[in-house]
Amino acid sequence: MLDTKTIVRDAVFTVIIPIAAFLLIMLLQHFFDAHSLIPMIFVLGVFFVSLKTHGFLWGIIASLVGVLLVNYAFTYPYYAFDLISPECVSSAVVMLLVAVMTGVLTTRVRTQEKLRAENEKERMRANLLRAVSHDLRTPLTTIYGSCTAILENYEQLNENQKQMLLGEIKEDSEWLIRMVENLLSVTRIDSKMVRVNKTPTALEELIDTVLIKFRKRRPDQEVTVKIPDEFVSIPMDAMLIEQVLTNILENAADHAKGMTELRLEVDLKGNKAVFTVKDNGCGIDPERLRDLFTGYLDRGNTVTDGTRNNMGIGLSVCSAIIKAHGSEISAQNLKEGGAAFTFSLEMED
Amino acid sequence: MANKYKILIVEDESSILSFIKATLEANEYQAITADTCKNGLMMYASHRPDLVILDLGLPDMDGTEFIKEVRRNSITPILVLSARTEENDKVSALDLGANDYITKPFGTAELLARVRAALRSKRNSESSGTTGGEFTLNDMIINYDKRSVFVGNQEIKLTQTEYNILALLSFHSGKVLTYAFIINQIWGYVDGTSTKKLQVNMSNLRKKLGSKPGENKYIINELGVGYRMQDEF
Repeated sequence: MLDTKTIVRDAVFTVIIPIAAFLLIMLLQHFFDAHSLIPMIFVLGVFFVSLKTHGFLWGIIASLVGVLLVNYAFTYPYYAFDLISPECVSSAVVMLLVAVMTGVLTTRVRTQEKLRAENEKERMRANLLRAVSHDLRTPLTTIYGSCTAILENYEQLNENQKQMLLGEIKEDSEWLIRMVENLLSVTRIDSKMVRVNKTPTALEELIDTVLIKFRKRRPDQEVTVKIPDEFVSIPMDAMLIEQVLTNILENAADHAKGMTELRLEVDLKGNKAVFTVKDNGCGIDPERLRDLFTGYLDRGNTVTDGTRNNMGIGLSVCSAIIKAHGSEISAQNLKEGGAAFTFSLEMED
Repeated sequence: MANKYKILIVEDESSILSFIKATLEANEYQAITADTCKNGLMMYASHRPDLVILDLGLPDMDGTEFIKEVRRNSITPILVLSARTEENDKVSALDLGANDYITKPFGTAELLARVRAALRSKRNSESSGTTGGEFTLNDMIINYDKRSVFVGNQEIKLTQTEYNILALLSFHSGKVLTYAFIINQIWGYVDGTSTKKLQVNMSNLRKKLGSKPGENKYIINELGVGYRMQDEF
């Protein structure tokens, strides 16, 4: 659980804070007699160390270092150790107590925080499961119903009717496929501890893949693309970002009523590549805009009318993916009409 | 048609097996089936199929074992069905010698296109000595003898490396070539910058061939895996 990085950090903390306290006292001594402040400053230092490090050990070490330093430099005999005087022993005991008690407190707070985060995650997962199960039922009903209709009435149905039922089966299966892709993306982030596996990806190859996939699903929807002319390489989990872009494009195609143009743009700003998907449709209901990316999970148990809200989960997935890339996704209504979705990714330097 | 192509399907899910078999038979192929890796290898040895369609997640052994076993002494095309979305599995299957992959779920049109491409690559490799001459794809012509490339009637000026990559992809048209494979063939070694080098060369190549995002007429990006030269329209 504790990796070397945190151990090193804790050790550095344990060394630096007593030294800082020591230097602070030296500085104060220049201006006035800070004698009465000395133990207080060291107790404060020990408190800081216990607060910021993991476990008791570091706090205890810091308090011992503090005791020795005070004893050596600031108590009579100056610049010599006197470890048996009652003053020294009692100050050591006090500092040790401070260290241990702070340690106990912070550990308790940390455990509680972890528990709360875990509960939150558990709640999200339960909501997701509930919402997804509900959403899966509609297409499955169509598929199951249409299949049995064909199988049991094969002779009675005419060619046209069969074609129509089969077409519906196909359409709903495709919807299910997209749903499952989104769910897989979620688990893919989850299993990697909210850290994604980034590989340098050529921007134009990403955009190309997204467009081909989107065109396959929405052959009638044109997308206007504007990306930089030069070669751009961005570290990312390409499959996940591909999912984000197709989700946003599909969201626009589904919900931006009256849209005549759908634009996908990438601009370079400093060390960042800014992705924008814009439409000139009806815009997003301001009520929904607030919880657009979390709504699906929060409203998980109150699915309204059995209509498909794949996009609810789609946008939640987008937000999770972009977060896992260390960035944020945002949506806004445009003054000139329509909506824009924006996120940025850091480029290679 | 007395002389149908014989295709072995190794897949443990009977419903998937039956729809693949039905599709293949409806399209004039002869299909034989196996539901475990072991049975698959037995069927392979006794029937010598022209093509194998292989599911990677089999109950008895990992599908990659099948690829290793077959590749010991044969170049029979292997088409991998992968339920896994992780690119790594695809890449390792391709690097082990699989010719192509399809990610589940897939449609029959996609399946048949891959089957045709794989069988064509088998024909190409059997009739040796076809490396000379020309390769034509859509309005692009590659002349291997003169090392020249035309789109329409316009000659396209390519650097050595760009030409080599294009020629390599065209030799294996229809097949996905992994990044590692292309890099090894072109530069002979792999280092930290090779993927970037390849990406930059591909970018220039696309520009020179006049391809735009979403409209690559010649080379298809398989994001995270590699590149594939188109081979049918």
